[in-house]
Amino acid sequence: MKIVVCVKAVPDPKEICRIRIDPVSKTLTRCEVPLVVNLLDKHALEAALAIKESSGAFVTVLSMGPPPADRIVKECMSLGADRGILLSDRAFAGADAFATAHTLARGIEKAGPFDVIFCGMASSDGATEWVGPQIAAFLDLPVVTMVRKFESRQGDRWLVLADWQNGYRRVEVRLPALFTVTRELNRPRALSFSGILKARSKTIEHWDLSSLGVSADSVGAQGSPTLVTEISPVENRRDAEMLRGTLEEKADQFVSRLAELGIV
Amino acid sequence: MKKRLGPVWVMAEQRGCEVETVSLQLLGKARRLADELGVACESVILGHNLGEAARRLIAGGADRVFVGDAPHLALYQSLPYRDILCALVEEHKPEILLLGSTFLGRELAPLAAARLKTGLAAHCTGLRHDKDGNLEQQIPAYGGLMSIVCPNRRPQMATVAKGVFKAAEPDENRKGEIVPVRVPGETELGVRTLEIVQEAPPEIELEEADVVVCGGAGAGSAEGWEIVRELAVALGAALGCTRPVVDEGWAPLDAMIGQSGKMVSPRVYIGVGLSGEQQHMVGVVGAQFMAAVNQDPKSAIFQQVDLGVVEDCRKFLPVLIEKIKAFRKERTFCRPPSVS
Amino acid sequence: MIDFTFTEEQDMFRKAAREFAETRVAPFVPEMEKTGKVPPDLVKALGEAEMMAITIPEQYGGLGLGFVARMIALEEISRISVATGMMLQVLALGIDPIVRFGNEAQKKKYLPGLARGERLATVAVTEPTGGSDPTGGRTVYSKDGTDYVITGRKCFITNSHIADVVTLLAKDENDPKAFSAFIVEKGTPGFKATHEEHKVGMKGCNTGELSLEKCRVPAENLVGREGKGLRVTMSAIGDVGRGGMVGCALGLHTACLEASLKFAKDRILYGKPISVLQTIQNKLAEMKIDLEAGRLLAYRAAAMQDRGEPSSNEFAVAKYFTTETAQKAAKMAVDIHGGYGCMEEYAVSRYLRDAFVLGPSAGTSDIMKVIIARWVLA
Repeated sequence: MKIVVCVKAVPDPKEICRIRIDPVSKTLTRCEVPLVVNLLDKHALEAALAIKESSGAFVTVLSMGPPPADRIVKECMSLGADRGILLSDRAFAGADAFATAHTLARGIEKAGPFDVIFCGMASSDGATEWVGPQIAAFLDLPVVTMVRKFESRQGDRWLVLADWQNGYRRVEVRLPALFTVTRELNRPRALSFSGILKARSKTIEHWDLSSLGVSADSVGAQGSPTLVTEISPVENRRDAEMLRGTLEEKADQFVSRLAELGIV
Repeated sequence: MKKRLGPVWVMAEQRGCEVETVSLQLLGKARRLADELGVACESVILGHNLGEAARRLIAGGADRVFVGDAPHLALYQSLPYRDILCALVEEHKPEILLLGSTFLGRELAPLAAARLKTGLAAHCTGLRHDKDGNLEQQIPAYGGLMSIVCPNRRPQMATVAKGVFKAAEPDENRKGEIVPVRVPGETELGVRTLEIVQEAPPEIELEEADVVVCGGAGAGSAEGWEIVRELAVALGAALGCTRPVVDEGWAPLDAMIGQSGKMVSPRVYIGVGLSGEQQHMVGVVGAQFMAAVNQDPKSAIFQQVDLGVVEDCRKFLPVLIEKIKAFRKERTFCRPPSVS
Repeated sequence: MIDFTFTEEQDMFRKAAREFAETRVAPFVPEMEKTGKVPPDLVKALGEAEMMAITIPEQYGGLGLGFVARMIALEEISRISVATGMMLQVLALGIDPIVRFGNEAQKKKYLPGLARGERLATVAVTEPTGGSDPTGGRTVYSKDGTDYVITGRKCFITNSHIADVVTLLAKDENDPKAFSAFIVEKGTPGFKATHEEHKVGMKGCNTGELSLEKCRVPAENLVGREGKGLRVTMSAIGDVGRGGMVGCALGLHTACLEASLKFAKDRILYGKPISVLQTIQNKLAEMKIDLEAGRLLAYRAAAMQDRGEPSSNEFAVAKYFTTETAQKAAKMAVDIHGGYGCMEEYAVSRYLRDAFVLGPSAGTSDIMKVIIARWVLA
């Protein structure tokens, strides 16, 4: 079985609150926040490695990012991936989800035939949840988002459970397909010293714009249908509507407001 | 000559025989956006037994509702839903397409956007037109707001969560057109939803919670804290606290929200018996709706919330909890059509 | 000439060790503080994470990594729990005589099990009459046929009650100047772990006494040459033991600085966090300076050790410096916390208690100075 796992190098979520919007220049404050593997992508990688262990698979890890993202791919190799590819080029910068998905999709095509693709359902720093499904769209693959369990795998027919409102849905899929996964799916294995040693001899492939064979206007900021026009800090001040009346009356009004919000 | 603009669309969702609340809320906003542009406000709904739903959408502000009704569409199916929606978009060329940030929307929207080669903004908390006539989509980020536009492609797509916008008052006398859409026959699909299963609500993690109830020193005692917990349970909310509560031992350190505790970004935050100190409030990021109960009318918390109640939370909460339970009992449930 | 950066691989070891410490060691800390006992599941977790295998050669089931890797692991684990760091460092200390002076049969017999964490090791030298000066010890051995019979008492031995394989120093009954090192296995008749110490710090790290009453060990348990045992144990303690303390001290020092930073940013006085006050900044700067210096001393010595160069003097310098400054840092951390620093729920009070157990372990600061003076005067 050939599995591709898409991973993203993201700023460490534990330190990300250090990045703030400067109220004067309206830009993000420059901050050295270390990059880590997006947590949900670790769950995606674990899904692939579990299959590799139980029934055999060749696992390719693919990431689009700046040169320091190299370490992230190496970490995935240390966890057990067989092949690591980093798509890196200035031209890829400034990509929105659409351009990112397009670039990754082309990378997957170039990497060779595959049976299944796993992605984390969202990244901690973008969290649109779009990249996975859009990769599937560009590769014309069936997709199921937010998979929490693989119920059965018979050849190329899989039965999965995916998160749904107040519950889950049971979905039948025919491979090749793409799945985005949730934290509930599995427990990612820990990085081990011996895994790091085993990955010593493995090298990471670096593909830039020309080796990917795509046009510059289809990737990066140029290839992005959306763009960010402004970021502004938000003051915490709000205008509170103060409820009036007796305690009972106020409680009634409160419940109505909660109902409007769809909580009761 | 000014280019003729297309309509504003909402891809509505149904659950059972009801239109999802979020779809009606989006319709309310879409109506306003459409009026600003001087175009029609329309909706698309797919599923089965949609007659009533279509009428609700018209009452909720749609001038026209495209209805794709077929038994094999009763449950969400990504491929036919995407194909039908995209075909309609390509035919009618809407200016804007809104979807709820629901499990369905979060999968369908990117599939459609990729097929239509257009831009999409996720989990918007604000939508308005900028001076160039583009839809400015606002998303909370880095403690502030990020504005996103899609200047060159159409439709401009956005997903929005429940509770961001208000639904319009339903007007049963509104006139609108219901357009049946041709639904391709059922085919062998690469991916098929077989069933949807409802579960009991699970333990809610603070950082992932949609609704957070947060209590402070005003809970008064360990018994008082139990009442705050009851409120959280009644609302299906996650329970957080401020430092004094941890110091008192009523809640563990990992329930603490604040600069040295957890950062949460719920849709709704309800603070009871707390004073709104910055150390705590900085841990609540980008909540769309915030409410507070505090017995001190001069409390700083009331400068930071949308809704305030001046009452001793020890007296107010028990009454509130009873009323929530009573409200729930009164709601009628509509059985979803059985899928054979 | 000098490259002070870690390699990418070393950074990954650090990441792996940190993740391990934060997820699998941290949950045991409250229990260790409360009971003072070594949690068996913690030992199991250390084994699974290959922590005991770091310095064991690959052909005996180890990872064959050097002392820089070991230092990294100890630093990261001690940042979360010095008690665990101490236990781990002494496990490596116990392995060292076998790796360096053991014969092939001994290596094959003991190292694989030790690498897997299935068996645990320690070194037993200290006695009531022989601490700083190990030659003052009174544990004696006599020869009986090809066996050795040992009688005596060892104290302040880390891992005394959990170790399966103990490398022990004893004096020739007939020649007070001749010392030999023996491997004594748990369960050997006449060999018992007796009194367990209740340390004020590093709780959960087992320290205790070993008693030998005509304990008989076979000839094949002699490590190195008869009469040359002092060298075996003292080089282990001098390089590996000292190096281990350095790793523990650095980890603790880092924890003190991190806790102080967090508190200083959170604590508001006069409307501002106390981190803006110069007195606080002074302490933070001192802690940082000492930590930076300590790390350089530590890794310099460990790198020399990995190159096979003699490094016990450099480790003496590092051990003195890092354990002394860790104690200073812990006191400063407590001061920064004010009244909260004395409360049990704040980790800094534990750091202070852990810090001063660092001092006398693997040689007191005063002894370090004696060693360094000897080095300077040579």
